[in-house]
Amino acid sequence: MFVSRLSSRASRPVVARLMSEAAAPSGNLVINFNLPHSTIYDSKEVSSVIIPGLAGEYGVTAGHSPIVSQMKAGVLQILHTDGGDAEKYFVPGGFALSHENSVTDITCPEAVPLDDLDVSSITSAFADAKKSYDSAEDGSEAKAEAQIDMEVNRAMAAALGTTIA
Amino acid sequence: MLSTSVRVTSRVASKMAPMAIAARGMATEKQLFQQINSTKNIMKITSSMKMVSAAKLKGDENRLYAARPYNKWAETISGDSTPMEDEVEFANIPDNALIVPLTSDKGLCGGINSFISRGARTMCAKLDADGKKSSLVVVGDKGRSQMRRMVGEKIVSAATEVQTPYSFDLAAAITAEVLAAGNDYSAIVILHNKFVNSATYIQEYKVLSPMESTGDSEALVSYEFEPDIKNEVLEDLSEYLLCSQLYHAMMEAAASEQSARMAAMENATKNAGEMVDALTLQYNRARQARITTELIEIISGASAIEG
Repeated sequence: MFVSRLSSRASRPVVARLMSEAAAPSGNLVINFNLPHSTIYDSKEVSSVIIPGLAGEYGVTAGHSPIVSQMKAGVLQILHTDGGDAEKYFVPGGFALSHENSVTDITCPEAVPLDDLDVSSITSAFADAKKSYDSAEDGSEAKAEAQIDMEVNRAMAAALGTTIA
Repeated sequence: MLSTSVRVTSRVASKMAPMAIAARGMATEKQLFQQINSTKNIMKITSSMKMVSAAKLKGDENRLYAARPYNKWAETISGDSTPMEDEVEFANIPDNALIVPLTSDKGLCGGINSFISRGARTMCAKLDADGKKSSLVVVGDKGRSQMRRMVGEKIVSAATEVQTPYSFDLAAAITAEVLAAGNDYSAIVILHNKFVNSATYIQEYKVLSPMESTGDSEALVSYEFEPDIKNEVLEDLSEYLLCSQLYHAMMEAAASEQSARMAAMENATKNAGEMVDALTLQYNRARQARITTELIEIISGASAIEG
């Protein structure tokens, strides 16, 4: 069963491609963490990353089994090879794909260093979102958008250690 | 590239057509003078358009160089793009594909839109010959008007008057447009210009196959899924993948367009300059001829009085 699946038409290019890409010579995890408008890390060797998965946070190191995970709004931590504190980014959601060759692609439409977040503007943005959530019609698109807005702001505040309701 | 410069010069030429005939008999100096001035004005326009494009190209290139690494994950999943060459067989495009050709809204940028339109026509013709169905969602006004003539019956919708510079939001909006065109297609094909350097661009297409969560053609079989609901994660992932691929393709197209416009305007400026030189020569001749005639008139008048 497994063999027949592997040789199936759709998966062949993927498998072939993953095999052809060499893993990092030093045995470290390689990450690609890029935004549409800027490059953060392109083929960067790191010690590990901690990913805010929809089903819970998890860490990825070199040799991790292949996994595709959907991210929730939360904090992504990068531990560099030279030790030291984790570099923290806030991501609003996206995907993390760990491949067989110790390469992990992290892709999301936006990410900001945690230090750039400001509690007071988050609190006011949350209040605005809540207001439009309350005024929006039930089941409307605006309501759903406002709800996402609220959740992202709440997650941002939580990342900074503040709780807002 | 060529067609635009020809178009600009032909516009100049059409203004001059009656003049050119007059010049053969006897163009008046005044007419020639006006002609030189209007050509110079057009030259000013084309050369400033060139400079504007050069400045915009810088921004487009920077956005492209950020979009390329961003889209790497998507290329890992859906495979490399196929360049549009003469002998390309489109064997990797299945039956009932949705083709998305990316063109621009504005012209004066050489052949970039015609290359894409022609590519779409060739692709559709080849797929028809192989007995495969195809549909089109066209992006860009130029491509829409060209492809309406060539393969009009295949166009299901078109996105025009898009804002420049292109943004990720726009890519997301076009993704929604493409998905709204129907989700029963067996693959989405993005046809676009790829920026090589400021003098070269090539046509390429990417084939994005839908990702099945079960069955023989199951996608990403060796991967675990988090959360463990593969069909839902795959659905979100494939939509996001389409957006990422579209964004990257749009950035390639934007940089190609700007570089093509820059080259086209440079050619047009050069042509206008050559025309000004030729007209100036003609003007000087006409002036000299007038002076000579006047001199002859005076001299012959004087000798008539003496005689």
